[in-house]
Amino acid sequence: MTHAAAPSGHALEQSKFELFVEIAMLLAVITGIEIITVYLPFAKGLLVGALVAASVVKFLFVIFIFMHLRWDKAFCTVLFFIGLILAGGTMWALVQLFGAAASVPLSSP
Amino acid sequence: MSSTAAAATIDHHHDPSTATGIPNKKLLMWAFLASDCMFFGCLISTHLIYRLHPPPGVPAARDVFSIELTSFSTFILLMSSLMMALAVNAIQKGNLKSLRACLATTILFGAIFLGCQVYEFSHFVSEKHLTITSNILGTTFYTLTGTHGLHVLIGVIWLASMLAYSFTGRLTEKDSIDVESMGLYWHFVDIVWIVIFTVVYLLEYL
Repeated sequence: MTHAAAPSGHALEQSKFELFVEIAMLLAVITGIEIITVYLPFAKGLLVGALVAASVVKFLFVIFIFMHLRWDKAFCTVLFFIGLILAGGTMWALVQLFGAAASVPLSSP
Repeated sequence: MSSTAAAATIDHHHDPSTATGIPNKKLLMWAFLASDCMFFGCLISTHLIYRLHPPPGVPAARDVFSIELTSFSTFILLMSSLMMALAVNAIQKGNLKSLRACLATTILFGAIFLGCQVYEFSHFVSEKHLTITSNILGTTFYTLTGTHGLHVLIGVIWLASMLAYSFTGRLTEKDSIDVESMGLYWHFVDIVWIVIFTVVYLLEYL
């Protein structure tokens, strides 16, 4: 089993170079699309959704490919996503709290 | 046996000597990055809350920001992430020459990013009269992007230290976990910027 796994592992290391370059080019293209998106004459909600989706795609590509989560043990993914979910939950809660009508500052126009 | 052949026998993703099967240094870095997510989450929340209720007299961010410069910085940081990934790939194959070239390029890209940020900050202060104390936009913007810039600076110093260490002859493919941990930190700096670029910069143009 070890002998069978070794060549595939070596081949994986060889193919990583091409994969990293392809992912980097993809990330650059997505960034370019994001910049063009802000100038498009579409509904604001649609554009916000598109920008957030593009950021999430870039984020996931970097953590799973460049940061090797795809090949590492699942516990690394779980550990990182605990922090990510706590951070996202805190952000969502704060924005909801301060977005409430009662939270509008008196000095706000 | 060549160094490449030796590297092929090392499993860089699993460590049977630890209870989790994950190298301790890597586990420590992932735990740190998870905690840093919460740190940046709070800073980004602060900026979003400001955007919900901007007080009167605060200039529109789109009149202050330069999308061209920030886009260039973003592209540079993305490419630095590529070079960092290639550096980790190189040390895992025991290729020190390639490692040094990739690390040097990553340092260069990190320095360019920092240079762009210094230029941006000085331009905002001198031309747009936006300081950290002038209004809530300045406070949230400089705190968030400045903290990220500090992370980049720490990363560049770490990269430069690793590059210097590689010339001592003591860095081999068996120590690839040290380079990989550093790489995780650098990629994290990149993913934080991916979020900042969208939330702080691009959304202001809608």
